[in-house]
Amino acid sequence: MANNDNMNFDHIVVQKPSIKQRMYKYRWFYIMFLPVAVVLFIFYYWPMLGIRYAWSTYKLKQITMRTGPDYSIGWGNFKRLLTADPFQAAFKNTIILSLVNLILATVFTVVVALLINEIGNAWGKKIVQTVLYLPHFLSWVVAASIFMLILSAGTDATGADTSNMGFVNAILYNIGIIDKPIDFLTDSKYWRPVWYIMNRWKETGWGTIIYLAALSSISPDLYEAAEIDGANRFKQTIYITLPSLMNTILIVFILNLAKIMNIFESVFVLYNSLVYDVSDVIQTYVYRVGIVGNDYGYSTAIGLFKSVISLILVTASDIISKKVRGEGIV
Amino acid sequence: MKKKFSLFNPQYAARSWFVLFNTLFFIAMMVIMIVPIYKIFCDSMINQTVYGLNLIPYGVDPEATELARNAGTIGADESVSVWFNTIAYKRIITDPQLYHPFLVSIYTTLLTTFLGLLLSTLGAYVLIQRDMPGVKVFGYALLFTMIFNAGLIPTFLVMKTIGLLDSIWAVIVPTSMNVYNLVLMRSFFEGIPASLFEAAEIDGCTPMGIFIKIVLPLSKAALASIGLFFAVAAWSEYFHYVIYIKSSDKYNFQYKLRDLFQDKQDTSEGTRINTNTLKSAAVIVSIIPFMFIYPFCQKYFMTGVTMGAVKE
Repeated sequence: MANNDNMNFDHIVVQKPSIKQRMYKYRWFYIMFLPVAVVLFIFYYWPMLGIRYAWSTYKLKQITMRTGPDYSIGWGNFKRLLTADPFQAAFKNTIILSLVNLILATVFTVVVALLINEIGNAWGKKIVQTVLYLPHFLSWVVAASIFMLILSAGTDATGADTSNMGFVNAILYNIGIIDKPIDFLTDSKYWRPVWYIMNRWKETGWGTIIYLAALSSISPDLYEAAEIDGANRFKQTIYITLPSLMNTILIVFILNLAKIMNIFESVFVLYNSLVYDVSDVIQTYVYRVGIVGNDYGYSTAIGLFKSVISLILVTASDIISKKVRGEGIV
Repeated sequence: MKKKFSLFNPQYAARSWFVLFNTLFFIAMMVIMIVPIYKIFCDSMINQTVYGLNLIPYGVDPEATELARNAGTIGADESVSVWFNTIAYKRIITDPQLYHPFLVSIYTTLLTTFLGLLLSTLGAYVLIQRDMPGVKVFGYALLFTMIFNAGLIPTFLVMKTIGLLDSIWAVIVPTSMNVYNLVLMRSFFEGIPASLFEAAEIDGCTPMGIFIKIVLPLSKAALASIGLFFAVAAWSEYFHYVIYIKSSDKYNFQYKLRDLFQDKQDTSEGTRINTNTLKSAAVIVSIIPFMFIYPFCQKYFMTGVTMGAVKE
């Protein structure tokens, strides 16, 4: 018990500095945070005050002959959007495009990551990774431009002149699958598949990075043990690699699920008025109503509707994530 | 005795067939990734309408053909073909309507990268001060913007109110304020040993001094990778220009490129350049800067991604 006598520090009183003292100590840090705070305020928090326009009629002065919003309509904008056909179509398209893309992304990215992991040659692996990541660095405008060029039906879509078709049409025409060029981007039948392909082309390689990082952290002991037990490579993949990867797959899936309402630029650069029925998403609809049509009240309501659904999705994803891995996503 | 590793050796057959399949699969993947870009590159160097299946930068040159016909060196039904016809590129670097947006892209990218790094390092440095009163509120205020957004129109109306419409800052500032990058930077700063800060403080270093002399020099890798993220985002910026910018001298190259594709104005009019050649050349010009730096910076891009992903 001799130790106890030495460890008795009760007579020393440690006083925690008061809030004022601590604030004074950190005074420079408040100044350092000021630029971030100002930008945050102007670009994120001040606009939140504008949410109130969702309950108003607010158009350009030239249209309504009055400045500022008119709040007499109450929930009118929300009633209008729930019954409006373009909104319902946009909502449906948002969900379909996002979900199909998310499922395709998960499957393709995981498979490609597993296969990259099987490349034995270090140089080969590096080259493959470099090439596969490349399209990620092109902007959506560039990606869409490339697709417009290679999918072009040429200047004469009637098919009489086949000399100036784009690459894809030229291939299909020459191997005899089609007898006249298809204008992929103005045809409702083909627009969605093209959009999915563009997304996969651009993002599949980049998406593998996170899985490759997870794969490299699987203990080699597991594989050694499996090999001793006589499991071949395929069985090792099924019984060791995939289960070890499951957590990462789930997290990436949940994270992306939380973002499904946000798709915008990839659609905006590829769609056109001929394919609104299959391509118009909420964000592009907001843009057309609000920025092009200057109907600020109604478009704020649509935007708010989207933001609230997003918020619910993020919260739900966070709860699921906490249950699955004991840690949230935000 | 070691047996030969071959497709027909039963012991290794399954594995070797797999290796063969895998190799072919990735060759195909690489072709799919590269061919569209390569095809555009070839088309950009052929000044003619017929381009379908051609995969070499070689084609009929209408100008040279006409010259040769006038000079009588070739017959009326013959034509002159050339390799690497750069007429469209010459047009891009000489036409102010096309090169000005490129310059705008360069300086907005530099500005955004600088401002982005400034905001994210300052913000991240403040966020790692655990004892600072109010630091949690700052953290939540930042995170909240990631999960809830006021939306396009309210933001647009604020920009209108404060007179940032048609100002380049309405594009630069929002791109510079990226909460995700800031959080990434914070998780990097958290890896710096606290003892370093304490030692510097005892030596009488001010917070700003610690930031400049210790934090920044120790975070070169993070600065490089997050800086590249900002640069890519700024270079690719398009939609903010669509909503906020009205004067044509403030558009960046992405906007100009999109304009060419929407045929809002036929810029090839009055010249001898085929529209598709010009479009293709514009695509190539807009990807050239990153094609050059990408192979050298790939490492930094990847650190950034895994840094955020394997945070736990």
